[in-house]
Amino acid sequence: MEAAAVPIGHGHGHAHGHDAPGHDHHGHEHHGPPPANKSSRVDAPMLGMLLFIISEVMVFGAFFTAYFFIRIVQGQEWPAEGDHLPKLIAGINTLILVSSSFTLHWAEVSIKENNRRGLQAGIASTFLLGATFLFIQINEYVNIGFAPQDHAQGTIFYGLTGLHGAHVLIGLLALLTVTIRAFRGHFSAHDHRGIEIPGIYWHFVDVMWIVVYLTVYII
Amino acid sequence: MAAKLRAPGLLRAGVLTLVGIAFAAILDLTVRAATNAEPLVNGEAITLVALLAAPFFFLGGLGAFDEWLYWASGKPSRPEDHSGHGATSWKDYFRVNTDHKVIGVQYVVTSFFFMLVGGLLAMLVRAELAAPGAQFVDPNTYNGLFSVHASLMIFLFIIPVFAGMANYVLPLMIGAPDMAFPRLNALSFWMLPIAGVMMTLSFFAPGGSFATGWTAYAPLSTEVPMGQMFFTIGVQFAGASSIATALNFLVTIITMRAPGMSFWRMPLLVWANFATSLLVVIATPFVAASQLFVLLDYALGFNFFNVERGGDVLMYQHVFWFYSHPAVYIMMLPGFGIISEVLAVKSRKPIFGYRMMAFSLLAIVLLGFTVWAHHMFVSGMQPWIRVPMMITTAIIAVPTGIKIFSWLATIWRGVLHLDTPMLWSLGFITMFVLGGISGVMLAIIPIDIHVSDTYFVVAHIHYVLYGGSVFTIFAGIYYWFPKMTGRMFDERLGKVHFWMTFVSFNLTFAPMHLIGVQGMPRRVADYTEQFAGWNMFISLASFLLGLSTLVFVYNVVASWRGGTRAEANPWRAMTLEWQVSSPPPIFNFDAVPTVVGGPYEYGVPGAVHGVFRPAGQPDPHAKEPAGASARADAAGATHHGGTET
Amino acid sequence: MGSEQVKTSRESRIELFKMLGIGAVASVIGIIAGLAIDWFPIQASEEAKQIDSLWDLLLGVSVPVFVLVQAIVLYCVWKFRVRPGEEDKDGPPIHGDTKIEMIWTAIPAIILLVLCVYAYLVLEDIEGAKADTMDVRVVGEQFTWTFYYPGEDGKEIASKELYLPVNRSISFDVQTKDVLHDFWVPAFRMKIDAVPGTTQHVRATPTREGTYPVVCAELCGLGHAVMRQNARVVSGAAFETWLKEQPGKTNPGATAGNQGSAGQPAGLSGKELFTSVQPTCSSCHTLADAGSNSSTGPNLDDALEGKSEEYIRQGILEPDQQIAAGFSAGIMPPNYDETLKPEEVDALVKYLAKVTK
Ligand code: HEA
Ligand code: HEA
Ligand code: HEC
Ligand code: CUA
Ligand SMILES: [Cu+2]
Repeated sequence: MEAAAVPIGHGHGHAHGHDAPGHDHHGHEHHGPPPANKSSRVDAPMLGMLLFIISEVMVFGAFFTAYFFIRIVQGQEWPAEGDHLPKLIAGINTLILVSSSFTLHWAEVSIKENNRRGLQAGIASTFLLGATFLFIQINEYVNIGFAPQDHAQGTIFYGLTGLHGAHVLIGLLALLTVTIRAFRGHFSAHDHRGIEIPGIYWHFVDVMWIVVYLTVYII
Repeated sequence: MAAKLRAPGLLRAGVLTLVGIAFAAILDLTVRAATNAEPLVNGEAITLVALLAAPFFFLGGLGAFDEWLYWASGKPSRPEDHSGHGATSWKDYFRVNTDHKVIGVQYVVTSFFFMLVGGLLAMLVRAELAAPGAQFVDPNTYNGLFSVHASLMIFLFIIPVFAGMANYVLPLMIGAPDMAFPRLNALSFWMLPIAGVMMTLSFFAPGGSFATGWTAYAPLSTEVPMGQMFFTIGVQFAGASSIATALNFLVTIITMRAPGMSFWRMPLLVWANFATSLLVVIATPFVAASQLFVLLDYALGFNFFNVERGGDVLMYQHVFWFYSHPAVYIMMLPGFGIISEVLAVKSRKPIFGYRMMAFSLLAIVLLGFTVWAHHMFVSGMQPWIRVPMMITTAIIAVPTGIKIFSWLATIWRGVLHLDTPMLWSLGFITMFVLGGISGVMLAIIPIDIHVSDTYFVVAHIHYVLYGGSVFTIFAGIYYWFPKMTGRMFDERLGKVHFWMTFVSFNLTFAPMHLIGVQGMPRRVADYTEQFAGWNMFISLASFLLGLSTLVFVYNVVASWRGGTRAEANPWRAMTLEWQVSSPPPIFNFDAVPTVVGGPYEYGVPGAVHGVFRPAGQPDPHAKEPAGASARADAAGATHHGGTET
Repeated sequence: MGSEQVKTSRESRIELFKMLGIGAVASVIGIIAGLAIDWFPIQASEEAKQIDSLWDLLLGVSVPVFVLVQAIVLYCVWKFRVRPGEEDKDGPPIHGDTKIEMIWTAIPAIILLVLCVYAYLVLEDIEGAKADTMDVRVVGEQFTWTFYYPGEDGKEIASKELYLPVNRSISFDVQTKDVLHDFWVPAFRMKIDAVPGTTQHVRATPTREGTYPVVCAELCGLGHAVMRQNARVVSGAAFETWLKEQPGKTNPGATAGNQGSAGQPAGLSGKELFTSVQPTCSSCHTLADAGSNSSTGPNLDDALEGKSEEYIRQGILEPDQQIAAGFSAGIMPPNYDETLKPEEVDALVKYLAKVTK
């Protein structure tokens, strides 16, 4: 949604290949707004995404609060008696997700060098890696042997991993969009904000997973 | 017809809402059939899914996502052509409009509508409480009345009305042509009516509306009838709306200030909304999560709050208050900003201690995150948390005191114009101090042990929220009414409104302090004979308070339609929004002004805040309304960076 | 500007002192008025004394703060309001004064910290352990309280009324069977939430004999408003006698009918029972003959019209067997079979059958 930046600044318009000048002349009674002054070096959509990520971190914070209360304050056994968390498979899954951050980075670097093939390969593999992660995660749910209804530990486990899974899904939708556009010839060495901004989100989803993995599976 | 259906608008939105409900039903039936659930058709489950899904269909139908879907599908992007800007007829207020001024009006009118609904519910509450025993509602309906009353007032009135006023004036004040993300702005607005309608319609849910107070404490909220979900899900939409708006304000303030508008030259209203938006972005996700927990427990049988399976009940309160205490400052700080604007202009003096005013806002933001457990002194949480929280809570009175005293110093030796906006501002100072002091009493743990969950708290709530927030809202609405509508309001009626409200407000809520301390618990439909006299008195006064609101409604409607035309700057104010015509031109400015001084330099000879000439040639006499001048758009033709990413 | 400022600041000072004078007088009047108000319910515990005097101290601090602000606002309105001919005038461009700003930051901070320290001491005092404490277990459920006393050989003694010996420190262990409740005796000033899955503690030392309400102060559902019972503070000797009369509670089912409606003098008429058993039927039901008009439960005048005694008996003893239309299960207390003696149930059934014919 951050892509909705409308007039952000003068100098900006030229960073976008598709932003043909002159589109905004509609006769006289309807002229456009004056260009806004750019009072900060930060890019508006970028700042918007960062703030959005702050509030996302807080959503995770609330779920970690729940985790804290169940596991530390209540002192419940973790995981619940008789349950078993597949640390190894989840670990491999972690590697898959983390590697998708690198492929994404590769895609970004490529387009900055105007390497469209690199962009396409990078973004498509990022998407596939993300989808694989989600698939393995769902598979884990099916085989893990306990349900959120069973006990509070299960609730927290599914709550945190599920919340993260939902973010992966949103990230995948964003990546899908970027992939489509990458294959349709959008983006260029000068115009790659449309990758960078979903990209930050994807990196955030990755980092968040590492935190979830460490707290839920490892410690 | 078909073309009309395809075009974004209310018609398409209505049709798609029905599609959304059908979608929910089919989805639910499919899942239930696949999992062999009994019975196959479960009305509650379908309603629940529909509550979640239909709003998105509605928004889609309205056209809130059109541009983004267009973009996402990889079509060449459609640059914003500004055709969505401005309003030429009332119909333009019923579509997805990206003009911050239109959105501002949409926000304000919608939130006042829900204020009237919430107020009407309060009238029913008072009618029921007029005498002990049952008057005309059963206890379940009663609990629903005050729950919906408080939820509407908080989530659909105070929070959005501030966002609406700021939406209108903030970009003007900082010299920006619009908000940073106009489409997101429109989406934020349209999520509000969804939340409001959902909460109001909960009365028609099977088993009645949500009835667990606006705090919706678990485990009660996970065990009651369906109506509770109208709150749980409604709050998600209201919360998403506030987060999106706050993000928009922050980005606008940081990246779109006019040249010369340094942080220390921003009007305090801008500072106040900056501080509030920080609170919203950081705190609101917690209320969303707390209600998500309830939803999961309620609908899917999760165990967040189920103690039999290891859940933790107090966790709900910690997560809820970690949002809802900051929320009370979300409901107060923008009001502080409004009061600073009005007092400086109406006393013809600079704000006393401008920098401390800004710092104290930030101090309140910081401290606001460290006091949540003062709502939990008797909740049975770990006892050691209480004393630290008592101290931080008491300390919060210090930055608030700085603001009160600075305002007093501002009016001291000024030239006070005691018109309607000023009366509300002075009324605010007196009433808010009373509410703040009862807050400090509540913070003192031994006192709170006795008065927690009594009418003393109800009195505190209304002194800070009505005498505080609502008084500032009235001050702001009267102050900017000429700017927003281009008309002057009826000053005489404005004063009648103020005095009627001021008197009946005190008659209504002051006695609640007493009956609370004497032992009347809150949230009860029935009480002992002992409190009958005062309650009758309070109820009668409250009806007068309700009437006083109707004076306001009449004044606004009549003046909007037939008031005298307002000049650009009837108050002789210096801030930028008053330097353009009333109402402002469609794109605010022909060219962005340059700021050369502080916003409140009243009494300083020759002082200017902003100049409306190209930068580099400051002209101290350039105070004539810019919108009226230079319509020939000498500057307007060469630029236009309408960019779409 | 220099000399002008000197003059204005002296004038300003005189005005300020004048106003502080008015403020001081008004504060004294305000404090006296505040203390004259009869704020609290009867003071019936050690803790209440301390809390009440803390309250008086708070009034002594708050009233001057409030009066000061009012005095300044009113003085400004009176003295500085725009006069004819001044419409276009501006005030003096005073931007601030660091010294004053420091004063009004420091003074409230000091006042508040002192208050917090004092409050902390009071808190330690009222919550501190005391010698010779008696434990009472308090169990909340929708919508009634049950009180359990330690009896001989580990058996607990249950009661629907809270009997307490005067001048003895009591430690309440507060629990709940379902949702949150809050155990509050306004006359003692002490309250605590009953939290599912935990036992909460609160102390009080009753100092005055008499009957005081026990109130549920946390929203717990439909019957929250009527979750009111009585605390009877009696002399130590009377308490011992009362306790001896109570049968021990080993197994609620086995002793059903024997205990419970403790404290009810035997032989009450059906009508008297209707308004006196705890919680009272009249707190939830409308019944013309008993003069009650509550609507938490069905209107018995209509609901029981022409119904058999058996039907009524089942309605009382097993309320969740058959749910009256428009109401939900789990509201009417399910334990009248435990808390009422069989004679009492009979009396109630007969009475209800008669008056609803
Ligand atoms: C606009 C909303 C608003 C605001 C601004 C405040 C401000 C404050 N509130 Fe309030 N509060 C609510 C809305 C608000 N509150 C609501 C809605 C509830 C009930 C929620 C529910 O349960 O439903 C509540 C409940 C509530 C409680 C819990 C009571 C209970 O449930 O048991 C407490 C306890 O500490 C408290 C304290 C305070 C304090 C210390 C302040 C301070 O910020 C006030 C500071 C201001 C001043 C003190 C006045 C000016 C200062 C001076 C003039 C300086 C000198 C002053 C002194 C030396 C005293 N509030
Ligand atoms: C901003 C917030 C706000 C505002 C403005 C109000 C306004 C009012 N409130 Fe409310 N109130 C709360 C926030 C607010 N309240 C909160 C947070 C609670 C706690 C809830 C809880 O426990 O969970 C509460 C609880 C609360 C209670 C306690 C209920 C209980 O504990 O059992 C009472 C009781 O008297 C009450 C009364 C009133 C009254 C008389 C008004 C009056 O000011 C209202 C004035 C009337 C109007 C503004 C309406 C006038 C209009 C008409 C009469 C015509 C309408 C026409 C159409 C709609 C077409 N409120
Ligand atoms: C806390 C509230 C509450 C109290 C106290 C209460 N009731 Fe009820 N009662 C209800 C509710 C709610 C219902 C309807 C739900 C049901 O049938 O269980 C009900 C149902 C009944 C019914 C059945 C009516 C019908 O039409 O089936 C009878 C009889 C009755 N109550 C008698 C009594 C008597 C006698 C007492 C006192 C000893 C009493 N109640 C105390 C709430 C209460
Ligand atoms: Cu039990 Cu309220
Ligand atoms: Cu608070």
